[in-house]
Amino acid sequence: MNAFFRKLIQKPLSEKVEAKDPDFEFYGNQLKKEINSVFKRSLAIREVDCGSDNAAEIEINNLSSPYYDVERFGVTFVASPRHADVLFVTGAVTHNMKYALKKVYDAAPSPKFVVAVGDEACNGGIFKDSYAIYGPVSSVIPVDMEILGNPPEPVEMIKGLLVLMEKAGR
Amino acid sequence: MVNSPDKGNIFDNTAVNYEKIVLPNPAGFKEKVISLKESGSVLLCLLCLEDPSSKDVFRLIYLFENFDYMQVSEIEYVTDGSAISVSELFPVASLYEREISDGFGVVFEGSYDRRRLFLHESYPDNFHPLRKSFLNGPIKTRDEIPEEDLYVFKRLEGKGVYEVAVGPVHAGIIEPGHFRFSVIGETIFNLETRFYYLHRGIEKLAEGKKPDECLKIAESVSGDEAASNSVCLCLAVERIAGIKPSLRAEALRGIALEMERICSLLSDCAGMLTDVGYPIGASPFMARKEECMRIIKRLFGHRFMRGYMRIGGVSHDIVSTELLVLESFIAGIEEKVKEAYNNAINSSTLIDRLATTGIIEPRFVRPLNLTGPVGRASGSRRDVRADYPYGIYKSFTPELFSSDAGDVLSRFMIKSEDIMASARFIKKIICEMPEGEINDINHEIPDGCAFAMVEGARGQNLTYLNVYNGTVWRYKVRTASFTNWLSIEHAVMNNIVPDFPVINKSLNLSYSGNDL
Repeated sequence: MNAFFRKLIQKPLSEKVEAKDPDFEFYGNQLKKEINSVFKRSLAIREVDCGSDNAAEIEINNLSSPYYDVERFGVTFVASPRHADVLFVTGAVTHNMKYALKKVYDAAPSPKFVVAVGDEACNGGIFKDSYAIYGPVSSVIPVDMEILGNPPEPVEMIKGLLVLMEKAGR
Repeated sequence: MVNSPDKGNIFDNTAVNYEKIVLPNPAGFKEKVISLKESGSVLLCLLCLEDPSSKDVFRLIYLFENFDYMQVSEIEYVTDGSAISVSELFPVASLYEREISDGFGVVFEGSYDRRRLFLHESYPDNFHPLRKSFLNGPIKTRDEIPEEDLYVFKRLEGKGVYEVAVGPVHAGIIEPGHFRFSVIGETIFNLETRFYYLHRGIEKLAEGKKPDECLKIAESVSGDEAASNSVCLCLAVERIAGIKPSLRAEALRGIALEMERICSLLSDCAGMLTDVGYPIGASPFMARKEECMRIIKRLFGHRFMRGYMRIGGVSHDIVSTELLVLESFIAGIEEKVKEAYNNAINSSTLIDRLATTGIIEPRFVRPLNLTGPVGRASGSRRDVRADYPYGIYKSFTPELFSSDAGDVLSRFMIKSEDIMASARFIKKIICEMPEGEINDINHEIPDGCAFAMVEGARGQNLTYLNVYNGTVWRYKVRTASFTNWLSIEHAVMNNIVPDFPVINKSLNLSYSGNDL
């Protein structure tokens, strides 16, 4: 009982996050409009790491953090390629991941879009000439959109998605 | 031997006895290793390199450490293709031996596991990329794999045993790796991991490049360990060339390393809470992480601190007004993390999920060389910053926290304490910030070799660098993840499959830092 009353008077656990990025809010709201019209309010993304160093994954994860919270704009990250509209592929594709990437691509239902995220995914980056690399993502599966950066920041990814949605709507 | 100048103690701790034994042949090697095992030594690293003077002659370098007797032993012998396995004495050696077998084609007699490691099935037979006779470039892989070359997992058989295969592509936004569980009911009876999906050929890529060109490669070893791995490379080069960075540069590096640790541990804590379905507890940690990444970008120019480290110093200075901004910011972080930590730890349902989950017993620490928060949560008192101080840690000693419980809860507590300790450490550096130059640009790098160790957020990161004719002859990276990954197979034993994500997150090891 005491614990119950203590809960009533204690400070709330939630906090107000200030200093949201105005750029991000702007592009996010634009993106929401596009998603509403093209994908009927929900865009499902599946992320596949094919040879990245985890920096791009960290930034993609940050999209769901309190500062960005992309679910407001209708973007969700899903657990399986079978639920996905868009594949986010990071890293120059290694020989060891090539087969898995093909399988993920085949598992995603059509129509589907592939976005190469980061310099390495787009053109191989510093790993271009390594024996262990098969090639950039476009050498394995068709790529619809490239987001450059080492790694791209969250706002760059939102901008990239916006361009992709505008392209898809046409 | 062309280039093995004796640099004395390989680490800057004069209290540690350092012995280097070069055996002309493998005779007597096994006896020495047995005596090291009996005295309680730890295998820090095992690496192989081709001799510059004669082709197809391989030097194997073993690095043992015994901190009870303050003793580091470097044992080296030469072989033309066959070596003696020590994996039964030091289980962690099995991974190194498989790595060397793949890279150089050296066969280890008496090893219990001879499966390929980083070369998966699609790589052709007799392909050894780290040999100098192979010139780096695209290769032809096989599409059809003969049945005898398929990877074989350990199989548990019996009534009610079934297998759960997870990966390489996981449900979350994480890196690829394969986990094969053998389960009875809900309880895990065995887990076998298979990694190296992210093998990008980092070590070969560095060969033939100038040491400062390799900084980019070191930063790409693992995304959120860019500062640790590049400082580690810088330390090795500076040891070879005898460069002493200024005190101010060392202090700036120290701030960078501690900020990186804070970022990494914040996301670990958030991840652990998310994985038990407690987002209200996780959000403050995630918010703090974003704030840290923004201030890192403001001070160091990049959200992951890429391009900040330079051989002999750092790329740019941070003015004192900006340092004051950081000081007040970091004080806020400490306070807010303390509040978030207290809120989390006061939730009985959370404790119920974390306590006694995923126990790593202290007896695994030495055989597997577990380091960092994972080791310290299982009774280890070791930390490179305190044991082999480098840079700023020579003047300031970090606070260390340790626990014997070895479960997810103790890892959560130690990681949270570490964040607050790092924040206090940064404040201490800023208070006593030395003045001076930040970069020593005029340096010649002579031929030579050196080891260097740095404590990253995940534990002990080790680098071996060998420079020959002005370019890198061999660059060996061994991140903490390489050895710490072994602990997960023990941690999940007798736990239930649904607890695997939180156990995995409590270790939060790097796949790319492991796969190279």
